[in-house]
Amino acid sequence: MKKKVLSIVLAAVMTLGMAQICVAESNDSKEFEGVSLRFLDVSPSESRQAYYEEAFAKFEEETGISVTYESVPWDDAANKITVLGASDQLPDVLTTHSGWLGQLTGSEWIIPLTDYLGDSTEEYTTAVNKLFWQSEKDRYGDIYTIPDGMMVKGIFVRKDWCEELGIELDPEKGWTYDEYFDVVKKLTDPEKKRYGVSYRGARGAFDPLMTYLQNYTGGNTYDSEGNILIKSDECLEAFEKWTGLYLDGYAPEDSINWGFTEMVDNFIGGLTGTLMNDSEVAATCLANMEDDQWMVMPVPKSDKDGKLYNLINGSYSLSISSDSENPDAAWKLIEFLTRTDNSSEYCRMSGLIPIKKDAAEDEMYGEGGPYYTFTMQLNDPNLVVPATMGPFDYTDMHQGMMHEEIQKYLLGDEDAKTALYTIADELESRMKTYLEEHPDVQVETALTMDD
Amino acid sequence: MNLKTKKKIMPYLFVLPVLILLLIMYGYPLVKSIIMSMQDYKLTSVGDVAFNHFENFKKMFSDTDFLLLLKNSLIYVVISVMVQFFLGLLLALCLKDKFRGRGIYQSIVFLPWAFSSFVVGLMFRWSFNGEYGVVNDILMKLGIIDENVAWLGTPGLSLAVVIIAMIWMGIPFFGIMILAALQSVPEDIYEAADIDGCGMFRKFFSLTLPYIKPTIIMTVLLRTIWIFNSFDLIVIITGGGPVNYSQTLPSYMYSKAFSSYDFGLASAFGVLLIVILGIYATLFLKLSNYEKAGDF
Repeated sequence: MKKKVLSIVLAAVMTLGMAQICVAESNDSKEFEGVSLRFLDVSPSESRQAYYEEAFAKFEEETGISVTYESVPWDDAANKITVLGASDQLPDVLTTHSGWLGQLTGSEWIIPLTDYLGDSTEEYTTAVNKLFWQSEKDRYGDIYTIPDGMMVKGIFVRKDWCEELGIELDPEKGWTYDEYFDVVKKLTDPEKKRYGVSYRGARGAFDPLMTYLQNYTGGNTYDSEGNILIKSDECLEAFEKWTGLYLDGYAPEDSINWGFTEMVDNFIGGLTGTLMNDSEVAATCLANMEDDQWMVMPVPKSDKDGKLYNLINGSYSLSISSDSENPDAAWKLIEFLTRTDNSSEYCRMSGLIPIKKDAAEDEMYGEGGPYYTFTMQLNDPNLVVPATMGPFDYTDMHQGMMHEEIQKYLLGDEDAKTALYTIADELESRMKTYLEEHPDVQVETALTMDD
Repeated sequence: MNLKTKKKIMPYLFVLPVLILLLIMYGYPLVKSIIMSMQDYKLTSVGDVAFNHFENFKKMFSDTDFLLLLKNSLIYVVISVMVQFFLGLLLALCLKDKFRGRGIYQSIVFLPWAFSSFVVGLMFRWSFNGEYGVVNDILMKLGIIDENVAWLGTPGLSLAVVIIAMIWMGIPFFGIMILAALQSVPEDIYEAADIDGCGMFRKFFSLTLPYIKPTIIMTVLLRTIWIFNSFDLIVIITGGGPVNYSQTLPSYMYSKAFSSYDFGLASAFGVLLIVILGIYATLFLKLSNYEKAGDF
């Protein structure tokens, strides 16, 4: 009898316990019910807006947290965020770009996410951990953003033109810069309105060139004392070789004023034969070109040391603003958006490489898939992610001096040495000032997968 | 309060709401920009704003491109205003007399004024595209050029494209204003001139022009100020490039404010623009004898 009573009591206790757990879990998922959040998308498009709005509806169903989608066109995004930050009106969750992190963290407009992430960092790919977050920790002392996907650079090539000219390219084998320049030359035929390269002459012109120069500096920008490393004869020669693509007529003359849009438009439109850009362009190629018209080659390996220097970034990383009144609810939203099912869907839509380990087994990213070259580069043991131009704010240089100095050289207003050294001197001067103001900071070095 | 005082105050009370609005909308920004021009005011570090006396002005005048910007601004304004004026005048003279289909013709030629700068900018950017642009195509077919011209990538030509776009867009405004003025000139003076045996040119220079002079002065003044201040077409068509060859003072100011976030330096450029335009307006009204214009 005693046993019977005991078992009934135990069963009742267990049932009650189970019920309590269920209620607690249900309460936990609805912990922030009624909270509303604002979300800012800095690269809006119809498909992105549709994706986010659908995701937010699902999120509200699961958590009771409502999210308002706000957007600002990419070209105005940096300005808008600066204005919102300066007036303490940033939305709870905002998509950001790695280039703005110096400003965002320096102004304390976004908060660190290390505590929120906890042990879940293990769920993310090695590339996210060792390249992306390591770089943030080195530069800003903490993890501030969760990438929405990995942006890897590659060279988009007109496959049909190459076949026509008997040029054989194999992504698995890769190529060196000299081989790449050679292909550019072979593809150029102004009579047929064909140019070898979508040359970037306007804003952002210095970015790919800097990566090329870093092939000669082991991927670093400064030595440990803040002296810039690109002021060398080797780098000057590389500078001339790169800009020679424009000067020698392998790019349209107008391209001195080209930015991202013109580069992509003219590759897709059939004016240029190669385009160095991020994996996101693959989605545009998939939508606008036939499969037999294009292919992706990895970024060329260094002619000097055979390493693969490639900038790996999160495209529009997610961050929580310090103006958020509900940072915990904001983190819930980020957790939801980076959950494998949602993240995979997002990456397929945006042309990105997934951030979580278990999302990588997708046919789009595996062998034969359109993104295979990008995933392949991420697994290349020779991959080196070059150091950035510095932890200080260089937006003004990026928006002006950097491409203007190169343009002056291209127009014959000054020589190559003056152009390269003017940019280098300004960067060095800012780096040294930064190091004086932050004596404890270690100079950032290139990242490898072995770190 | 007695009636006399009330009467004295009344007009000021009527004007007061407008005055308050003007002070808020124009007075405050004006004073604020003058103050900012003497501050180290960067939007990226609004917590560290401090007065730096005339550092921004020093930086502005020592900018290696300052003279180029000034030269570009003058070329941009002078050519745009002059060509717009002559073509606008021509257009107005053509439309003065009634003819079949005048209404439709008038609507079509005045259309550019209704377009947004953004649309006009994009249209000209594509028309002058070095590879696919319709302009190169036409010039090639006419045998004027034998190879493509990189309009937007060549110093001098890039500014010319912006000027052409500005002229195209602004002709209708001159046309509308001058046509309205022409239609208000009394017909009987022309009849009297006919009796006196005046020729076409004499009538134009001795009657028409003096009658429409106040409109011309005001329109030229307004357009000069508007064109001098405008930067939208430049930003859309060339972005000020290559280097700064198609950049003017206002477009450079815009780039300093919204690319470099240096509001202090941008405000210094703003103050310079106020001074230049202030001097211009005063001199122009004085030299053109505006107060006496139209008196017969």
